[in-house]
Amino acid sequence: MLQVEGLYLRRGNQPVLHGIDLQLLPGQVVGVLGPNGAGKSSLLSVLCGELQPDRGHVTLQGRALGDWPGQARAQRLAVLPQVASLDFAFRVDEVVAMGRLPHATGQRRDAQIVEAALQAADALHLLDRSYLALSGGERQRVHLARVLAQLWPGQDGATLLLDEPTSMLDPLHQHTTLDAVRRFADQGAAVLVILHDLNLAARYCDRILLLEQGRCHAFSTPQAVLTPAALKAVYGIDVLVQAHPERGHPLIIAR
Amino acid sequence: MMRFLFAPLALCAGLVLSGHGLAAELPQRWVSAGGALSEWISALGGEAHLVGVDTTSQHPPSLKALPSVGYQRQLSAEGILSLRPDVLVGTEEMGPPPVLTQIRKAGVQVELFSSKAEVQAVDQNLARLGQLLGAQAQAQALAANYRQQLDALHAQVRDAQAERPAPGVLLLVGHAGAKPLVAGQGTAGDWVLTQAGGRNLAEHQGYKNFSNETLAALDPDVIVFSDRALADEQALQALLKENPALAASRAVREKRLVSLDPTLLVGGLGPRLPSTLQALATSFYPATPTPSNP
Amino acid sequence: MRPRVRPRTLFVCLGGLCLLSVWLSLALGPVSLPLLDTLRAGLRLLGLPIAEDGLQQAQMILGQIRVPRTLLGLAVGAVLALSGVAMQGLFRNPLADPGLVGVAAGAAVGAAVAIVGGSWLGGMPEALAPYLLSLCAFLGGLAVTALVYRLGRRDGQTSVATMLLAGVAMTALGGAAVGLFSYLADDATLRTLTFWNLGSLNGASYERVWPLLLVAVAVAAWLPRRAGALNALLLGESEARHLGIDVERLKRELVFCTALGVGAAVAAAGLIGFVGLVVPHLVRLLAGPDHRVVLPASLLAGGVLMLLADLVARLLLAPAELPIGIVTAFIGAPFFLVLLIRGRT
Repeated sequence: MLQVEGLYLRRGNQPVLHGIDLQLLPGQVVGVLGPNGAGKSSLLSVLCGELQPDRGHVTLQGRALGDWPGQARAQRLAVLPQVASLDFAFRVDEVVAMGRLPHATGQRRDAQIVEAALQAADALHLLDRSYLALSGGERQRVHLARVLAQLWPGQDGATLLLDEPTSMLDPLHQHTTLDAVRRFADQGAAVLVILHDLNLAARYCDRILLLEQGRCHAFSTPQAVLTPAALKAVYGIDVLVQAHPERGHPLIIAR
Repeated sequence: MMRFLFAPLALCAGLVLSGHGLAAELPQRWVSAGGALSEWISALGGEAHLVGVDTTSQHPPSLKALPSVGYQRQLSAEGILSLRPDVLVGTEEMGPPPVLTQIRKAGVQVELFSSKAEVQAVDQNLARLGQLLGAQAQAQALAANYRQQLDALHAQVRDAQAERPAPGVLLLVGHAGAKPLVAGQGTAGDWVLTQAGGRNLAEHQGYKNFSNETLAALDPDVIVFSDRALADEQALQALLKENPALAASRAVREKRLVSLDPTLLVGGLGPRLPSTLQALATSFYPATPTPSNP
Repeated sequence: MRPRVRPRTLFVCLGGLCLLSVWLSLALGPVSLPLLDTLRAGLRLLGLPIAEDGLQQAQMILGQIRVPRTLLGLAVGAVLALSGVAMQGLFRNPLADPGLVGVAAGAAVGAAVAIVGGSWLGGMPEALAPYLLSLCAFLGGLAVTALVYRLGRRDGQTSVATMLLAGVAMTALGGAAVGLFSYLADDATLRTLTFWNLGSLNGASYERVWPLLLVAVAVAAWLPRRAGALNALLLGESEARHLGIDVERLKRELVFCTALGVGAAVAAAGLIGFVGLVVPHLVRLLAGPDHRVVLPASLLAGGVLMLLADLVARLLLAPAELPIGIVTAFIGAPFFLVLLIRGRT
């Protein structure tokens, strides 16, 4: 469980984030939405400890993030960056196995977890391919499997932060990926995911944080946040919002 | 053979003494790591004893047929030992020191000689070489003759200098003419120029590159050039082609350019030096009646 | 992907090759010793009760020349290869070289100071000269690396990119300094400097080998413990941090190991190029980039390459010998070009 209160962050003299209060609860997927430059990635950097906030503090399971020893923290908090650069010809299973570094669960158990995580990310067939030979989307799924493996099986106490995990994926894999994330949360993990696609957010997230110029415009359920008025105010687009005919979650259609 | 017989004895006495056991007997197999030393050994009739020489040993040309032990500062311990020498001779430039230590430990006598440009060094070197070769009398005669030649040269230069000023000279050491190094103070080249009665115009230490302009400004009366790649006439042409500024100097206008064998400049004073000095002196003071060449 | 050699197969092959090259290095040289004598002298040196008769020469050649030389070759090769792995990991670039952080340039300046400065002071005491040269080279390498590391640090973080640029600049500066010393040096000193820059295992003695062996053992014991962390570092610095790695500490360790290892290797054997670049690369081509394999395999392969190169160096022109830096560069440079060309496809 990750919690942040009264978050304030500056870059130079420019405030990037203010007054953000956020709690990631076990079993919940929180989506972060907002236009370019709204502070989504900065928020993620603060939440994972890469950036120090100027005010406010981040706690992981009630303990300040900075007080955790690196390994113990890594057992509880995993981060999937937008792009990972890896220029060495690792095999896919080796890349995913790096997620097991913070643990000492033994080779056999790790191999099982690697396989399960790859399966969850719909990338098991890539198992013995060279990472360098993969497409951008395949690499993204491999890294997802890596962070899943890091927190596997994703029980209560695990927190997963994802920065646009679907940016390079085809429509099918956008859904399989978020489906995997959803199921991971269902097992008890707390998840925060930055997304650009409003409909994906509406479908897979329990709560949505809508950011506007570093401020929290709204933080609530998809139905409450994704209103035509809010989207007009934040993105400047005119939309129709209807209920999904089968699932009932909001469906956003540009006018 | 001797080594074999002495081996048990040397073993008892320890490594330190193993060299001494052989000292009574003259060394038969020689490796020489010094150009001038190899020449002296040949002059003393010891060429047949040489089983290996370094890269600076170029005279007499027959030495080039011997196995090369490489450059005198980069000798290989095992390489030299593979020639099964009794003695390794070289100047104090010989090395690296750890290799010399290993060679000594293997029971090979290592003899260091002076490479200083002094007549006294020649006396001492010859005396020791004579001892080692069992040719003391011959060595003495060579040394006396050497001193005599140099004395005669000095007298000749003194006489000439009484009549007129010493010519300003530059010694250029080059490779196919390009970017010659100028021999400065403290070099073997400087010693050669001075002995032959020249006045070295270069005042720096060691061998240095000069710019074309500096060369022209010094305006030498005589240019001595020494080329490692080309022989006399070719070297001269290359030198003038690469350094057009020299064309304006007095030396070139009056065609006072002398070539010098570059092997004379390394590894101390050798037997060919007096005649070379004589030739240089003659070109420095051309009107002087030439004494008969030895 | 191209099939990899299984780690076990690789270690067995490299181990065998290592034993073979050690044997060749002990058995071959300009002095030809009967095989049986070499063997008996070797056993005698190991303390077995074997009669000494007729073995003096073999024992001398083996004990005083070939054994220290072989140890030096193994240690230099191993340390250079390990440092290469460390640097390629640090810079996350398979083409990084141990010289990148300025350690080689610093060592060269240190050596130039010792060689040329020593000649100005009228020559160092004969007995001290080799030690002083090694010490100056070692300290020079350490000092420049420390400076490069310091230049890369800002706000408690080390920027690898800044370090790389600082390393390039310091290497250029070091080159200029060595150039200046060469210019000021007299002829004989210049030759010494030139040969030092080409590297050699010639004249190896136990006194010169021990310090390097200690460093080699320390580096070889330490780096493999960080193999997992090195793997994670290849993902990126923040990814490694998210995996629980203390990245700043890791970088510090990598730089320190390299400075210590390359500094000691250069101090003992002069500048020997390309081993640190080529060996890790070759191992990765064979067995993949996992550092748990790459580190120990590079250690072995570095030693093997060095011993084989040294065999060429000492036998090709016998009784003279070739500086080993020339041999490794002649093997390494074409290999590097092949890698570049293949890397494009």
